[in-house]
Amino acid sequence: MSQYEKVTPELIEALKAAVPGRVSVDGDINEDFSHDEMPIYGKAMPEVVVEAVTTEEVAAVMKLCNEHRVPVTPRGAGTGLAGGAVAIHGGVVLSTTKMNKILGYDTENMVVRVQAGVLLNDLAEDAAKQGLLYPPDPGEKFATLGGNVSTNAGGMRAVKYGATRDYVRAMTVVLPTGEIVHLGASVSKTSSGYSLLNLMIGSEGTLGIITELTLKLIPAPKEVISLVVLYENLEDCIATVPKLMRANLHPQALEFMEREIVRLSESYLGKSTFPQTFEGTDINAYLLITFDGDNEDQLNEIIEQASEVVLEAGALDVLVADTPQLKKDAWAARSTFLEAIEANTKLLDESDVVVPVNEIANYVKFINTIAAEYDFEVKSFGHAGDGNLHIYNCSNDMEVKEFERQVADFMKRAYAKATELGGLISGEHGIGHGKLEYLAQMVGPVNMRLMEGVKQVFDPNLILNPGKVCYKL
Amino acid sequence: MEILVCLKQVPDDSVEIRLKPGTEEVNLDGVANVVNAFDTYALEMAARLKEAVGGSVTAVTVGPEGAKDAVKTCLAVGANQGYLISDPAFEGADTLGRSKILAAAIKRLETEAGKPFDLIFCGREATDRATGQLGPQLAETLGVGVITDLVDIEQTAGGICAKQETEEGYRRVEAATPCVVTVNKPAYDPRYPTIKNKMAARKMPIPVLSAAELGQVDPGQPGVHVVKVYEPAKRQAGVKIKEETCADSAIKAVGMMAEAKLL
Repeated sequence: MSQYEKVTPELIEALKAAVPGRVSVDGDINEDFSHDEMPIYGKAMPEVVVEAVTTEEVAAVMKLCNEHRVPVTPRGAGTGLAGGAVAIHGGVVLSTTKMNKILGYDTENMVVRVQAGVLLNDLAEDAAKQGLLYPPDPGEKFATLGGNVSTNAGGMRAVKYGATRDYVRAMTVVLPTGEIVHLGASVSKTSSGYSLLNLMIGSEGTLGIITELTLKLIPAPKEVISLVVLYENLEDCIATVPKLMRANLHPQALEFMEREIVRLSESYLGKSTFPQTFEGTDINAYLLITFDGDNEDQLNEIIEQASEVVLEAGALDVLVADTPQLKKDAWAARSTFLEAIEANTKLLDESDVVVPVNEIANYVKFINTIAAEYDFEVKSFGHAGDGNLHIYNCSNDMEVKEFERQVADFMKRAYAKATELGGLISGEHGIGHGKLEYLAQMVGPVNMRLMEGVKQVFDPNLILNPGKVCYKL
Repeated sequence: MEILVCLKQVPDDSVEIRLKPGTEEVNLDGVANVVNAFDTYALEMAARLKEAVGGSVTAVTVGPEGAKDAVKTCLAVGANQGYLISDPAFEGADTLGRSKILAAAIKRLETEAGKPFDLIFCGREATDRATGQLGPQLAETLGVGVITDLVDIEQTAGGICAKQETEEGYRRVEAATPCVVTVNKPAYDPRYPTIKNKMAARKMPIPVLSAAELGQVDPGQPGVHVVKVYEPAKRQAGVKIKEETCADSAIKAVGMMAEAKLL
């Protein structure tokens, strides 16, 4: 902390001159700026919040803060899950949420140019009106696109279409020094030196502040249909996944859900969507699968084949969400998991490990076995199709310190097992400062040294989002 | 119990629908057709009743060839058979005209099956025009009773006992069959089709009944004339009152109302 200067009245005046009318200090700062969606990693109020609307304003702020050695934490909608947008060393929070303009479509090259603060939901709706699809589909629809790129967010459709990284063609970035750089281009391939574009993606606002993005779009599939597959137990449910992936049917989304979390979400929504029993047998696990295609007949053939695979593999029955209402209901239940957990939980931590698809069953079995040794509840769900699991530790009655102690022990074992099975510690939520130590343990000192070196090149004074991803102060 | 469910194919009401700029034409480009939500509730209620007491459910709709999809959807979620009533002469029919067409179809289907329908289910209204008139008009045309806004139904010795939703609460209404019932949103949701039922429904034939097959029914001239089509006026954004305490908020709200001379 000592290497940074406090914000001075002179700096505040300079910031106000650079970003007129959109600089808040001390008492005027909303408490929301002190945390993201995972407050267990600690809250911290910034000294100043600046809401920029142009790249030039961001550049002016960075230049000033770099000169004054004041840390800057970039922040989108604050929906992160690893503490990445929290100003743990104080200083300035630079909010991009007012940079929320869709700047234009290039339908010949199938790209859209947006400011970094545009919400995922807004782009998705706007693109749909033009018959286009922006495939990345993280659960949190009210995150900013800049935030999505900064964590390389994945989401439900990643199993077919890939994660955010696969849709970023170009970007404008303000470096910690205040220099403005343009990375990438509206082209479909490149062999033009180190990919600084790809280095920026997933760097969680530690190397530069993304202000504009050129994102790839695809024609929206004409038909979409979802299946709800019912299972008596989780083992059968998850064991189906590799078989389904081998069947070459290309599901757009493939999610597994356990009975308890489905009930929690339905109770939160006040609407019972999924059946609880099938011909007298309790249903304990579900797969929610979506397929897309260009015509109904083609899709019907696909869902028939998929149903054969899952029924052969032990599913009790397959329900078809083939109308807009049924699809909406089925996915609303799934999309509300995190909100439902947050609404019912006082102490919450999470991990989003990713393991090879054929190891999901082993991994979930391991997690459910060790979960019994702790006082908190473990609720898990996830993107079965790409091996990305969201595991939540929840307690309403533990002491905070004891919860943290037990969670740390649980995480250590959970991450070690993921690594042993050939996985990684985060599939899409990022490292922030909540997972930094686990990353260091997993990748080892050489990889950490390389990351720190990259950081130094971009940010010689270490003023941008300090204490995140690869180094502590 | 022999049950008929009348359904209508409507534009998907879960998406925002606007007029084409500068016209009175509703822009339905890219909007999917779905079964009217209230009709899906009616079908679910009918299917549950059939499963409880035995019998069969027949689904019918009046519309163009594309409305067969609506019938097909219903065959996967509880209807045993379905018919499309389609004829160029029926285009543009209003609810009164449709009720005459449906009444003629009902007579025809009853004659064909050699037995009457005990119950005729309709949704309380269609989500496109929301007139809520078809059920009562159909009952009148058939000369039978009607109970509107059902949220539950059971069979009794002489007919049915229905739970009717009113503005004040609920009312239990008994009726002799045959009769027409219109359905509001019940406590449950329409079921998902199972893959087996969906695939079976795909292969089921959906006979088309034309005007000639209904005995030259005449829907008559529309009794309703559309004078103007326009979008609802945009309401001004409200004011959010967010004081420290509820009491402070209430005081501020009352103050604002007093200032606007509303009190």
